[in-house]
Amino acid sequence: MRILKKVDVLEKKGKKVVLLGNEAIVRGALEAGVGVATAYPGTPSSEVPMTFSRIAKQAGVYFEYSTNEKVAFETAAGAAYSGVPAIVSMKHFGLNVASDSVMPVIYTGVKAPLIIMVADDPQGWSSAQSEQDSRFYSRLGHIPTIEPANPQECKDFTVLAFKISEEFNIPVMLRTTTKVSHSIGTVKLGEVKKPKRKGKFVKDKKVYYNIRPNLQKLHELLLEKNEKIRKKYSEKLVDVIPGSKNLGVICSGVSYEYVLEAVKEMKVKPRILRIKMTYPLPVKMISKFIKDLKSVVVVEELEPIIEEEVKAIAKEVNPKLVVHGKDLLPSVGEYNTEDIISAFEKLYKKKYHIDFKKHLRKAEAMVKDLPPRKPSFCQGCPHRSTFYAVKKVLGSKTIYAGDIGCYILGIFEPYEMQDFIISMGASEGITHGIMKSTKQKPVVFIGDSTFFHAGMPGLANFHFNKTDALVIILDNSVTAMTGHQPHPGTGRTGMNESVPALKLEEIAKALGADNVRVVNSFNQKEVQKAVKELYSKPGVNVIVSRGECRLLFMREMKKEQIQVPKFQIDPEKCVKCGVCTDEFACPAIIKEGKGKNAKYYINEDMCWGCSVCAQICPYNAIKPARLVKRDDL
Amino acid sequence: MTDVLLTGIGGQGVLSTSAVLARAAQLDGFFVRGVTLHGLAQRGGSTHTFIRFSKDKVFSPSVLTANADLILAFEPLEALRVLKYASKEKTAIVVNDYPLTPIYSNVLKIPYPKKEEIMSKLKKFSKEVVVFNAFGKTKEEYGNILYGNLMLLGISIGKGFLNLSEKNVEKAILCTIKYDLDKNLKAFREGVSLGKKL
Repeated sequence: MRILKKVDVLEKKGKKVVLLGNEAIVRGALEAGVGVATAYPGTPSSEVPMTFSRIAKQAGVYFEYSTNEKVAFETAAGAAYSGVPAIVSMKHFGLNVASDSVMPVIYTGVKAPLIIMVADDPQGWSSAQSEQDSRFYSRLGHIPTIEPANPQECKDFTVLAFKISEEFNIPVMLRTTTKVSHSIGTVKLGEVKKPKRKGKFVKDKKVYYNIRPNLQKLHELLLEKNEKIRKKYSEKLVDVIPGSKNLGVICSGVSYEYVLEAVKEMKVKPRILRIKMTYPLPVKMISKFIKDLKSVVVVEELEPIIEEEVKAIAKEVNPKLVVHGKDLLPSVGEYNTEDIISAFEKLYKKKYHIDFKKHLRKAEAMVKDLPPRKPSFCQGCPHRSTFYAVKKVLGSKTIYAGDIGCYILGIFEPYEMQDFIISMGASEGITHGIMKSTKQKPVVFIGDSTFFHAGMPGLANFHFNKTDALVIILDNSVTAMTGHQPHPGTGRTGMNESVPALKLEEIAKALGADNVRVVNSFNQKEVQKAVKELYSKPGVNVIVSRGECRLLFMREMKKEQIQVPKFQIDPEKCVKCGVCTDEFACPAIIKEGKGKNAKYYINEDMCWGCSVCAQICPYNAIKPARLVKRDDL
Repeated sequence: MTDVLLTGIGGQGVLSTSAVLARAAQLDGFFVRGVTLHGLAQRGGSTHTFIRFSKDKVFSPSVLTANADLILAFEPLEALRVLKYASKEKTAIVVNDYPLTPIYSNVLKIPYPKKEEIMSKLKKFSKEVVVFNAFGKTKEEYGNILYGNLMLLGISIGKGFLNLSEKNVEKAILCTIKYDLDKNLKAFREGVSLGKKL
């Protein structure tokens, strides 16, 4: 849990502490002597950089939040080219962004260890868009890949990844899933190694000239390295639990723990092979394991990658083997112990003492008619105010292009103003395509951090290819959704050093925006006026809607012991129109009862004093409960 | 093995209370495992965490359906949403009697259920339910609802639902909580004595 005050990742050797998977990865990197750590934050990987950010100075490591994953990867690769051990971390989609540079760096290899930590997010706990399985990149790029199952392994496997990377001069991928990165567990710590901070880049044609004919030599060398890694490491990086030859289980990652739990619950004894390195696969070990088995079930998140390979190996060594996997287990979403138990129920033709389906039916009946509590903008969120203002001016029929960040929550009722959400920066490109192919004019919503990450090319393209777009940059000064990390517009670095902030309005002008307006997100009149003026105006128009993340602001206020004004509804003036609850939908505004008997009030424990409700109330019924002097704020 | 589920609304302190609980169990010499979910769930949405601890090694980080020993809910509606983890035989439920209507209740016109309805549903899925407005109590006594989190943890220990030493929970609070340690410790201790009486 990243909120832990005491810094457990820096505890002494031999101590047992509870760590989050992501924190354990940082500890592992420290034990391996990492010198440079980089990242672009992306949940479920975010706590890796957040932990580095907290401890880098104390640990003597260089850490940075780069502008995007590609730059983060390149920075780490540059360090490793110069002989400095490095780690870069990202979420699964981040690997798509970085991949253009990852592929060639795997060919050239590195002079010091380079670890690519990638967190997949089956079930989409922290991601919209897709349930991508990053292990396909392992195959695409011949990237040796290891998969820890719990925080202890997160630490140990990170140390191991550094070792393999160093021995074979090849980047190694450490692949987690949400239930590994965000799980906690007892971890026994090893010794921290003094970080290597400085190296030297040495020109080397044999390594860096990746043009033909050297390209083919590098490709050949890469395949050789992987064969050696397969023999020396992959074949040995397994856990084998002996058991009946009627059924075998092959698994990887956190699925191993679900299998162990299911075995215990079902009181069965299958033969188990747990694979720690999922690329290159331990082909010999798998052959030996399945040779005399009658059937085997492969348990892996998410795609049937090992399953397909097991089927291919079985053709050679045991053609009669029945290979199960996605026929018994879900093909979408993440796994849990229940899934494995129900697969065992079918395979062993015996019932677990709890009927999950029946229990679930009963439990679901209890929640059937409950109001949902989907995530929403926090009380006082500048984005809610901007969305409200834009909808007030342009209505619900206008197309609203979505992007990645907290404003993704504008997809939900009552706003429903994220008509498509594709990838970082895609709001602009897709809008451009729509405008070139229709008479419609979408409004582009993009956040500040996303704009720095991937929004600049799209904006330049509007100008270059003559599209009269309206881009609203929602500027809350940080990368908020992933936990308030700084970006080039924030004014401080990942190591908490100050640096001049880049100004979005200046960048917009430089990239060809004809009209740029900076407005205060919390000022309804100002935002509405700008939208009215700029939506139909010819040219590329940019509104920077600026308002500090209220959650961050409130934390600052708490630290400084400063109170913010709380707002109140005057029951004399309130006509119960429901604008504040149904259309503005601030979680601090409560409606109790129905119709004429309904009571509207503001929960003072929740109100964060943004004042927007007072601006949107058509009857002027909302006022600060007590006046706060300007000096108090 | 003790299987605990903490549930509430993003921002209510589910994560920090889970951190205290996990750390206390570690100090008591247990092997600890669990899951914290955040990201999208953090922004005002339903959120829950699992904490499991045992003298032996714990495998899966997740609590199994119908297997929770304790559900600690910071909001009544959120207790209902996790009932699939509860069972009549096994589960004790401690619920904070501090209902918060979700914005979607107004927006989608789905009313917040009545207290009696919530209670009868919780009873169907538990061996014991403790209902207490800890947020109201700490608001009254200390001026802030959020000390209620540790009061609820105290109640669970006082009631005997969690076999953890008070001393180590206090130590865990000192290592984990950033602000107002005195009030947090007081709220916890008050919870323990309340739990003994409830």
